[in-house]
Amino acid sequence: MSGNLHQAGVRFLRQLGRHAEPIMDAYLAGSISDEALEPGVQERLVKDGILYRPEPGADLHLRRTVRALLEEALKDDRNRQIDANTGATLATFRTLAAHYTEARHQGDFAAADAYLSDLREHVYSFCEGLGHGIRVLWSRINNEFGYVGSLNAKIRENELAQTQVSEMLAGLELIDFQDLADTAGDLRELRRLLVTSLQRSVSDAYLELGVVQARLLDLLGRFRKIQGRTRLLRGWSLHVEQQPDYQPGQHTALPQMPQLLNLAEALLAPAAVDIHDSVQEAELLALAAQVRAQRDERALVALPEAGETLLGEVESFEVQASPIQEAVQEYLCQVIERGQPISALAWRAEQRLPWDEETWLYQVIGGYEALPDEQKDYFELLPEGEDHPVFTGNFIVRDLALCLSA
Amino acid sequence: MLSNKGQVIERLLQGSFICRTTDEEGWRFLKNPANREQVDDYLSTLNRLVASVGSGAEAEVFYCAYRQLGENERKVVGQQFRDVCNALTPLVEWLLLVQEASAQDAPLTEGSPIRLNELQGIVEDTPAFREQLARISHYRLFGSTSASVDAQIKQVFKKLCDMGYLIRPNPEKQIYIGTGKLDYLYEVIRFIDEAEGLALEDRAEAASQSSLL
Repeated sequence: MSGNLHQAGVRFLRQLGRHAEPIMDAYLAGSISDEALEPGVQERLVKDGILYRPEPGADLHLRRTVRALLEEALKDDRNRQIDANTGATLATFRTLAAHYTEARHQGDFAAADAYLSDLREHVYSFCEGLGHGIRVLWSRINNEFGYVGSLNAKIRENELAQTQVSEMLAGLELIDFQDLADTAGDLRELRRLLVTSLQRSVSDAYLELGVVQARLLDLLGRFRKIQGRTRLLRGWSLHVEQQPDYQPGQHTALPQMPQLLNLAEALLAPAAVDIHDSVQEAELLALAAQVRAQRDERALVALPEAGETLLGEVESFEVQASPIQEAVQEYLCQVIERGQPISALAWRAEQRLPWDEETWLYQVIGGYEALPDEQKDYFELLPEGEDHPVFTGNFIVRDLALCLSA
Repeated sequence: MLSNKGQVIERLLQGSFICRTTDEEGWRFLKNPANREQVDDYLSTLNRLVASVGSGAEAEVFYCAYRQLGENERKVVGQQFRDVCNALTPLVEWLLLVQEASAQDAPLTEGSPIRLNELQGIVEDTPAFREQLARISHYRLFGSTSASVDAQIKQVFKKLCDMGYLIRPNPEKQIYIGTGKLDYLYEVIRFIDEAEGLALEDRAEAASQSSLL
């Protein structure tokens, strides 16, 4: 049985696919003429319930279900069909629930399962239908009924949408959960389906419909305001045409003058610039520059010739050595005089040099390193000190001795 | 530089209408009740307050009004009202012309753009609109003496910008935007309609239905 259904469904869908072009033509144009289709194709489409002829001699139209399928799939704005027939659906729920309960009592679990899945399908499609209806309403609100041209048409569309909302709300009110709970009894599956899941979608739908209704009223108010303004303008123009010398009364002389007519006199004239304000200097200079540009061009005066530039020899000058450098020089000379190593610290003590030990040692090293290579070769620097007790590779210099190299 | 509050006060005292289109920052500033109160406090020394078209949270256009009306203030207000009334008919006819020429349901309001070139093209191509424009531009309010559509329409738009009903955001483009002063104008017409019992809306409705029949 289900194998047959499956095959038939696949055949039906293939049929749709094969004749996609004429079906879309019919969808867009509303109908399709007999000549556009081959007789065989036409007969098949009519037999399968895709096309039908509303009255003898009329063109072929798409069946409502096929059209609804396309509208839904294409999110078409023209789709404003909303199914608000809750009463019939509820009756179906109750009937199927009764079938299920009976089958359970008789122990016919296979039949009970079939009824349950059927009921589930109905409940789901009811919830889906609610969601769909709200979605359709929103899509119309969101483009502000842009699919119709004139303001009056928009107002009519808005009114249609409002009646649909009220119908949906009225439909939802028909759902009596107490009654449904009684129908479900203590059967867990039924309860979950008819009470829990249904209640959730219905309360969601209530919420959303409330928002939709508010938005619709809001939009209607706006449309009416615009319409009112147009009417005011037209009415005024008609009125003035009929009474050309019409003058409104002296409303401003009334003791209770409306706030609207209370217009204060302009009080401020543009202020003058403050040329002593240094903050504005940049702007003022820019303005002044523009002012000058508008004045008559002054006669150009030739720039005076620039004087000749002479390149002379640069005077020689001497770099003054610092005292510590001179002390190092003296130390080096002494090493050459004596011809034997002299400890740097001993020399410092001997000469009573004012710099501290470390500075002096660094300066000696620096002085030695700063010598030209050929002079450096005459000397040898002998550091005295020891390795660091903990970290290898570090050598702590305690004193220096400089001697002539062998 | 002036603070936001300072700018708002300056504009109000210059007699400008502050709306979202002309001065969005000032408009946002005044939308906040606390800020509006501050400005009110400042203006009270000058016997002025911040008034708005629409009340409470729906206030969309702000302007400066007198706090207390003495003899002199009444004289000023009366003169302003007479000016507005004298300007009403030319402005209404112009608004209708724009609406009809651009084939729209909605009349021009704050924030709606007009492309001068398009409008001019349509008016030039339609004799009825050409006549209408000639009549409008020769009102004393607009003061055009020219016979060409181009000069007439440019003069009308220039005057409207001067009066603050339109702004031209980019001086290199011929695109104009309606300001909040237009909304004020509608409110004035509505007020006159209600105060004098003219039943303008009913009259327009009746006229449009009889034309349908």
